[in-house]
Amino acid sequence: MANVGIVIVSHSEKVAEGAADMVRQMVGDAVPLAFTGGNSEGGLGTDVGRIMEAIDRAWSDAGVAVLVDLGGAETNTEMAIEMIDETKQQRIVICNAPIVEGAVIAATEASGGSPLDIVKQTAEELSPQ
Amino acid sequence: MNAPPLSKTSPVTGSALLTNAVGLHARPSVKLTQLAKTFSSVISVATDAAGPWIDAKSPVKIMRVKAPKGTTLYFEASGDDAADAIVALVDLVERRFDEADGDDHG
Amino acid sequence: MVMDVALKKALIEDCAKVITAHADELTSLDQAIGDGDHGVNMKRGFESLLADADALAARPLPDMLKAIGTQLVMKVGGASGPLYGTLFLSLAKEIGEAPNTENARAAFASAIEAVKARGKSEVGQKTMLDVLAPVLAAWDNRAGLAAHLSETARQAADATIPMKAIRGRASFLGDRSIGHMDPGARSSSLLIATIAKHFGA
Repeated sequence: MANVGIVIVSHSEKVAEGAADMVRQMVGDAVPLAFTGGNSEGGLGTDVGRIMEAIDRAWSDAGVAVLVDLGGAETNTEMAIEMIDETKQQRIVICNAPIVEGAVIAATEASGGSPLDIVKQTAEELSPQ
Repeated sequence: MNAPPLSKTSPVTGSALLTNAVGLHARPSVKLTQLAKTFSSVISVATDAAGPWIDAKSPVKIMRVKAPKGTTLYFEASGDDAADAIVALVDLVERRFDEADGDDHG
Repeated sequence: MVMDVALKKALIEDCAKVITAHADELTSLDQAIGDGDHGVNMKRGFESLLADADALAARPLPDMLKAIGTQLVMKVGGASGPLYGTLFLSLAKEIGEAPNTENARAAFASAIEAVKARGKSEVGQKTMLDVLAPVLAAWDNRAGLAAHLSETARQAADATIPMKAIRGRASFLGDRSIGHMDPGARSSSLLIATIAKHFGA
């Protein structure tokens, strides 16, 4: 079974790219990883179409865990998930965790072959209960 | 602390001194949990032989240990591959997590 | 009633026209309390609908609404794209091919719930919901319903002026959001008035 994929969705492309760099350097190449940040005009924001593409790039049959930053990123990610093929929808989760730490931790968990619910649960251990 | 009853699956233990500059910080923590996850045994880590013991496969818990250079890490593993796990984990610490030591606080 | 292709096309064209004609106004409302992109974003989205009007109008009503919702999500962007997109995608699911006024009302009611869930917001927080919910509440069996709903939408948009924003970027302004009409409420009332015209308002 393939490892769970990780997607990073930030309002800022630089934040998203930087978080992805940290995942690659700290965790390695064992997990599918994609990021997106900024709106279609290159400003701060998130874009549903780009989020869908990022989920597609990081797609794994084991599912995809998405890390988001501020409110709109979550709203647009929820929207993107709803617009993706229904057979894939239940294999995509948004982790309630800080974006950078959450991405590293989720990827670490995923790199050991853990299933999607465990990847999400581990990332969410970071958040105050 | 009472000694646990002896059984044929009594845990394998080991220890190693943290000698890399940053200790058990983020990147070494990731490497440690990643390596631990490659074994089926239940593996715990502690900074004291008496515990408390922490799940070596939990990246969040291991990162919270924040053990500095000079700390001794104690390992305990139970399961079919426990001995291999302890050897590999002790080796990882003694290899300084394959980190290039410097001023890098990652 | 089955909506014929000509009516569907006219609805798309007129909605696009009214948004385009009011794009500057929506932008200035959004500059007062938001990030100033509502007019431009909505115009971009509705222009893309206009460009596709023939193909969209040729589809059965639920398919047309679904395509409109998808296109608005993709082209409007910002916070409004997903919210308007959700409204149309939800209408598409519920409305059926030949809705009567009761079917349309029920579909509108579930679309409002979908928008609330998407925006994690409620009525009274100075958003488009403060137009949509009063319109639903005013939707009864009276003669001249379209004109009644159109007027309700206009008044409801005006009623957002004294409200304090609690959701969205406007909420960062706190009390300073008071005194400006919500741009999403304005665009909703414009669209409702435009659609109502084709149903006798």
